[in-house]
Amino acid sequence: MSALIFTIVLGIIVLYLGFTKNKAILAPVAIAGLGVSLILSIRDWGLGSKYFHDMILLDNFSIAFNISMIIITILIFLFGVDYYETMEFHVAEHYALMLFALTGAFLMTSFSNLIMLFLGIEILSIPLYVLAGGKKYSYRSNEASFKYFMLGSFATAIFLFGIALVYGASATFYLPEIKTYIAQFNGHLPPMLMVGLLFILIGVAFKIAAAPFHFWSPDVYEGAPTLVTAFMATVVKTAGFAAFYRLLGMGLLPLPPQLEKALWVMTGLTLLIGNLGALKQNNFKRLLAYSAISHSGFLMLAMLSQHDSSASVLLYYTFVYSLATVPLFIIFILMKRASDGLEDLTIFRGLYKAKPWVAVPAIVLLMSLAGIPPTSGFMAKYQVFVLSISQGILLTSIFAIIMAIIGVYYYFFVIREIFTDKQQPYPIIVSKINGALIIVCTVAVLFMGIFMWRLPI
Amino acid sequence: MILLIILLIPFITGLSLLFFRKAATARTVALISTVVNLLLTLSLLNADQSVTYSAQWINYLGIQFSLGYDGISTIMLLLTNLLFPFVVMAGFGRDQKNVPMLNCLILCAQAALIGVFLAQNAFLFYVFWELALIPVYFILLVWGGDDRKAITLKFFIYTLAGSLFLLFGIIYLYQLTPGTHTTDFSAFSQLHIPAGTQNWLFWILFIAFAIKMPIFPFHTWQPPTYKMASTQGVMILAGVMTKMGIYGALRFLFPVVPLGVLYWQNLVIIMSLIGVIYASVIAYKHTNLKTMIAYSSMAHISLMAAAMFVLNAYAYQGLIFQVLSHGVTIAALFYLACLVKEQTGTTEMPQLGGLKINAPNMAILFLIILLGSIALPLTAGFVGEFLMITGLFQQSIWFALFGGLTMILGAIYMLYAYQRVMLGDKKVAFAKATDLRALDYWILVPLIVVILGLGIYPQPIFDILKPVAEVFSGLAH
Repeated sequence: MSALIFTIVLGIIVLYLGFTKNKAILAPVAIAGLGVSLILSIRDWGLGSKYFHDMILLDNFSIAFNISMIIITILIFLFGVDYYETMEFHVAEHYALMLFALTGAFLMTSFSNLIMLFLGIEILSIPLYVLAGGKKYSYRSNEASFKYFMLGSFATAIFLFGIALVYGASATFYLPEIKTYIAQFNGHLPPMLMVGLLFILIGVAFKIAAAPFHFWSPDVYEGAPTLVTAFMATVVKTAGFAAFYRLLGMGLLPLPPQLEKALWVMTGLTLLIGNLGALKQNNFKRLLAYSAISHSGFLMLAMLSQHDSSASVLLYYTFVYSLATVPLFIIFILMKRASDGLEDLTIFRGLYKAKPWVAVPAIVLLMSLAGIPPTSGFMAKYQVFVLSISQGILLTSIFAIIMAIIGVYYYFFVIREIFTDKQQPYPIIVSKINGALIIVCTVAVLFMGIFMWRLPI
Repeated sequence: MILLIILLIPFITGLSLLFFRKAATARTVALISTVVNLLLTLSLLNADQSVTYSAQWINYLGIQFSLGYDGISTIMLLLTNLLFPFVVMAGFGRDQKNVPMLNCLILCAQAALIGVFLAQNAFLFYVFWELALIPVYFILLVWGGDDRKAITLKFFIYTLAGSLFLLFGIIYLYQLTPGTHTTDFSAFSQLHIPAGTQNWLFWILFIAFAIKMPIFPFHTWQPPTYKMASTQGVMILAGVMTKMGIYGALRFLFPVVPLGVLYWQNLVIIMSLIGVIYASVIAYKHTNLKTMIAYSSMAHISLMAAAMFVLNAYAYQGLIFQVLSHGVTIAALFYLACLVKEQTGTTEMPQLGGLKINAPNMAILFLIILLGSIALPLTAGFVGEFLMITGLFQQSIWFALFGGLTMILGAIYMLYAYQRVMLGDKKVAFAKATDLRALDYWILVPLIVVILGLGIYPQPIFDILKPVAEVFSGLAH
């Protein structure tokens, strides 16, 4: 809990530091502050404390996800040092808004009450609507912001409506109570409750960009400033899945058969649309957006294979996925600068020739996303399949494997471009801190693939 | 422990090569490493086969880092470590870009292949199986010939697609194991899976191996990949990597899904025999030397696949023997094809001809290796193919008849190709073509010695195989 409060205060401090017009101190303060949050989170480990009339339950599940998100945010801020170097205005706001969004994410991992979940989603989303429009003079950034805001608020409204319906039926917001209430019907739910649950699931599915509620994500990922895109693709997705898992595990399981079927259809669609959509993408950010959708599909497969170790697999998967995705966005930024602002896949041409020590990490990270041993991405997928196959979900697993094969194709398409010889118009400049971070992330991705198979939860 | 050392020598040497700047040093270090590995492997031949290495890896998923070997692994290991010194030597004195990186990848491929053949745990096997693919992919992508980008991607996706189904199979078997689940081969072979399950599981497991070998109709990646691959790349691919498919099938299918094997036995044999004839006919009609050799390789591999599924000791011994002899022969053949390309700038046979006049020694060595490939008596190929056809004959005379066509058709297309490449009038375009360099002898002569030596005195290999063959024929009944 102290971590949550500290992060909010930190956000306000960073916001006010913006008035000093000294950009150089923003990132160090924010990173040091997040370091403190990290320590505060670790100190709560194992306590299982409850706050606000049990509306928040800070168990190990939420702390593990919080720590994972803090680490990824620190990573993004470290990359931000170089990214915001050339930006003149509103840098403090960027850091502060990401911190506020992070607090929303904290709530999403630790709620035990639907109202808290709603608050968490809103606190996460509203800063993101602003952040997506961070490039004030770019049409696409404005479009992304507006689109995200419109669709996001629509989804929120549906979600809220769902909460209202469930409350109307069960007269409670508390998940454990809802669970006992649902259990008494033995699978034959009254229509109001059913519709309410469906709407709640739709609201959360929108956040994790599961098909058919994924339409916003490629456009928003493409238009938003790249660092914000990295934040959305990693921290927001992690928070969304933590919330989804908690919602199911704490309140809604076992799902009535109709809803379970709906979720399975969503999983299949997400896998299909994510992977087939990525095949034809020429823009790297859109490619990663569709890749994020397809990873949502694998995560949903793990989540729906209800098993004790699902949570641990989800944590591992989201963490190693984030660890690979963030540096890839940074490498994309570097190549975009070198190619005069283009965003298509050809900007990666000549990377191997010019900077082999960046190209090799890029290849390892892409292989991790594609799920090829010995990277941690493979381990994550392996554990997902162990879960799903040992639950007897054979056909969906085979379908997911076919989709994984398609996934390999588009990631290796990028790898191919890296090896194509071409001189970019400008030299590829990699600042020391970026270079070091890219290598650290790559080593972490490999290390976790070989030696660290699960994270404590 | 010695197994771990054999596995780690190429891997560590390979990574350390990245710190070298000079091409010559990198090549020499790589060669020393491969030769040391060959010597260590030879020392294993005499030891009893109880040497193992085992370490805890990921306990909660039942995965152990366990290495061990038996008769089949020994032959595979021998083939790998025998060929790799020559693969490294094939780079000597040639103009290649980024030599340290190339040799690093070659040695990493060697390490991964050794891992595949030593792994006693299905998960470990799978990891090495995939790891072997990655360096080879980059060797082909960066150092390959024309049109390499599209072809390597196809090759990679095709083979990976098969392996992912294998992964599914491994996880499925894993959750069938009793008690605390494990992915050890020994636990897999003790499973008693119902016949209905075995019938579909067979294909899930087999498809990865069928693509890797490749047998008809999963072969479409192979000819273009071989054609555009660099000398070293194709030596690894055709010499060793295709044998991974055979090895994998022997490791997985027969102990784990024996009923599935019996159920699909005839279908697979017929598919393989179709492959024999199909590949031989195309090899005859094809005008490109390298593609022709690729199809000839496919014909031989198809015969091996057919022999694998007749389930008797003759065919089995012939198969394993042929693994070794085919690996050596095909690597030598491809090396020669690449020499032809170097001398003349083309491998299109209509443009070739009359090379014998400028390069008589090359023509002689080519002829010897080519005769080894068409299984002339006193070459290693004869021993293997004779035994395999004997085995096929015990199953059905028709199988033996069509299988035997490998040798006959092989003689036709190989000699026809030889005629078009080496014989004939001197062509003006090749006036500058020269004979073999000293280095080429160092590669070709030892390989020929192996081909002839095993053909004249094959007994040592059978001594290694004997215990396994008995187990195998017992299993078939």
